[in-house]
Amino acid sequence: MDLQLALIFLQQGIASGLVSGSVYALLALAIVVIFKTSDVPNFAQGEVFMAAGYVALYLFVFQQMPIWVVLPATLVVAFLAMALFRRFVLDQVAKSAKDLVYLVIATLGLSYVLKGLVRRTGFGDTPRSFPALVPTDSIMIGQASVTLLDLAIFGTAVVVMAAFFWMFNYTKIGRAMRAVGMNPKAAQLVGVDLRRCHMLIWGLSGVISAIAALLISPKILMTADMGSIVMLAFAAAIVGGFSSLPGAVVGGFVIGIVENLVGLFISSRAIVLAPFLAILIVLVLRPQGLFGGKLTIKKV
Amino acid sequence: MSSSPLASAPEGRPGLPGAALGGLALAALLAVALPFFTTGYVVYIANLLLVFVVLCLGLHIVIGETGQFSMAHAAFYGIGIYASALANRAVDLPYPFAMLFGALVAGAVGLFIGALALRMRDIYLALATFAFGEAMQWVFANWDSVTNGPNGLRIAPARFGPLEILSDKQAYPFVLFFCLLAIGFTVVVSRSRLGRAFRAVRESEVAAMAMGIDVRRTRVIGFGLSAAVAGFAGGMFGLFQTFIHPDSLGFQTTILVLTMVVVGGLGSIWGAIGGAIVFGLISEVLRQAPQYQEIIYGAILMLFMMYAPHGLFAFVGERIREARHGR
Repeated sequence: MDLQLALIFLQQGIASGLVSGSVYALLALAIVVIFKTSDVPNFAQGEVFMAAGYVALYLFVFQQMPIWVVLPATLVVAFLAMALFRRFVLDQVAKSAKDLVYLVIATLGLSYVLKGLVRRTGFGDTPRSFPALVPTDSIMIGQASVTLLDLAIFGTAVVVMAAFFWMFNYTKIGRAMRAVGMNPKAAQLVGVDLRRCHMLIWGLSGVISAIAALLISPKILMTADMGSIVMLAFAAAIVGGFSSLPGAVVGGFVIGIVENLVGLFISSRAIVLAPFLAILIVLVLRPQGLFGGKLTIKKV
Repeated sequence: MSSSPLASAPEGRPGLPGAALGGLALAALLAVALPFFTTGYVVYIANLLLVFVVLCLGLHIVIGETGQFSMAHAAFYGIGIYASALANRAVDLPYPFAMLFGALVAGAVGLFIGALALRMRDIYLALATFAFGEAMQWVFANWDSVTNGPNGLRIAPARFGPLEILSDKQAYPFVLFFCLLAIGFTVVVSRSRLGRAFRAVRESEVAAMAMGIDVRRTRVIGFGLSAAVAGFAGGMFGLFQTFIHPDSLGFQTTILVLTMVVVGGLGSIWGAIGGAIVFGLISEVLRQAPQYQEIIYGAILMLFMMYAPHGLFAFVGERIREARHGR
C-alpha cells in the first residue's frame, strides 16, 4: 500500500472512529457510572440500549408520533425501566444475598428478558434503520468523508458527556453520587438517601444508553441482537480503567478508532475479534486500565 | 419474607437425609432402565442432560469451590469437543483416549487462562474470561483448516475396539458411565486436601495463606481442573453427536450452564447436578415455546437471585424446615 493511500485510510479511520467511538464512549460512561456507585458491571446495558432504540422506532414509525414526543418519551421509558429494575429487582437481590455475583447474574437475567420481549414484538424480524433526522449528505474534512449525520452524532455525544460531567462533579446530587461510590454507609450518615440515589444513577445510565441508541440507529440496521455492540463499550471501559469517567470516554474513542483502522488496514473479519483482544491484552498487561490509578486490593 | 436464614452460604457437602437417599435410588433405577422403555429422542435428551451435568460440575469447581468467576466454559467445552473429535479422527484408538486428549487440551488452556487470571479478580476476571470465550468462538468459526470454520465439523462415530457407536441408545450407557465417573472425580477432589484448599481460598485468601496454602497455585489448579472437566464433557458430547457447529459454543451456552449451577445452588456439588437436570428439563419444555424462551430464562435468573439466591434445593429445604416448625 503506498503512502498516499495509507494517509487517506488513516484520516478516514480516525474520522469514522471518532463517530462510532462517541457512541461507545456514551455506553462506556453508562456502564462505568453504575460500576463506580454499585460495584456491578451491568451486563444488560446493551439490551437497554437496544430496547430503547426499539421504543423510539415503535413510537416514531409504527405510531407516527411527532419526533418532539418520541425523543423525550424514549428517554423517560429508559429512565423508568432502569430505575425500577434497581429499586424492585436489585434491592431485593441485595437483601437476600450478600455477594455481588448475584447482582451481576440478575443483570444477565434482565438482558435476556429485554431481548426476549423485543423479539416477541416482532419489530426486530425485519432489520430496519431509524429514519435519519439530519441529512446524510457527505462533506470532506481533510481527506476524510463524513456526513452531516456523523457530525450531529459526534456533537450530541460530546454535549451529553459534558453535561453529565458537570452534573457528576459540580452539582449537589452529583456529589451525593460520588459519595455513595466512595462509601455508602458514610454517605447515608450524612443524609444521602441511598435508595433514591441508586435509582437516579441507574435511571440516568438508562437515559445515556437511550441517547446512544437514538444517535446510532439511523446508521445501523436494528435487530434484537444489536446490543452486542456493548462489548465495544466494555472494552472501552476496561481500556479506561473501569472506574474512571474520563477514562471511559477516551477509551470509547480509542476503541472506535482502533476498530476502524483494523477494518481498513487488516480485514473486516478481524473487526469482530478486535475488542476481545483489546480487553484481554489490557487486562493481562495492565489490569487497572490505561487510566486507572495503582491497583489496590480491597480486603474486607 | 425472612431472608436471613438463606444468607449463610451452603456448605460444600450437605448431609443427605433419608428421603433424598430414597429419591436418589429411584433416580438411579430410572437412569439405568431409561433406554429400555423410551424412544430414541428421550434417550438423546438424557445424553444431553448428562453432558450438561458434567459441564456444571466443571463450572462448579471454578465458581463454587474456588470462588473465581469464569464466563468461558462454553469455550473449554468447545475445545474439548473439537480436540477429541479431531483426535478420534487422527488416530485409531478407542474413544476414551480421544476424550482424555480433549480434557487435557482444555485443561492446559485452562491452566494458562488461570495463570493470567491471577492478576485479576471479580469483575475483571469475569470480563476477561468472557472476552476469551468470545475470542475462542471466533477461532472455532474462522480457523477453517482445523475446525472447518462456519460449516461446522462432522464428528466420526466413537469406537470402543470393534464396537462402533451409531445411535443414542447405544451411546447412553457410556455417557452415563462417564458422567458418574466425573461426579466421582469431583466428589473426591472436593473432599481431598485440594478441595479444602479451594474453599479456604474462596473464603479468605489471607487466612488461606496464613494456613500455609499456596494461594496462587491453588487458584490456577482450580481453573485448570474446571476446564479439564468441561473439556471432558465435550468428549462425552462426541459419543452421541455427529456434528458440531461454532454457533452452539457461544455466550448463550455459558449462560445456560451458569443458570443451571445457580438454580441448583452455587457452592454445592449436588446443587450443580440437580440444577443441570431440573433446568435442563425446563429448557427442554421451553423449546415448545421458543418465542418465550429468552423471557422465561431471564425471569428465572432474576427471580432466583431475588428470592432463592442459594438455589432451588436450599430454598425448598428452608420452606420444609419452616413448615415443620409449625409456621
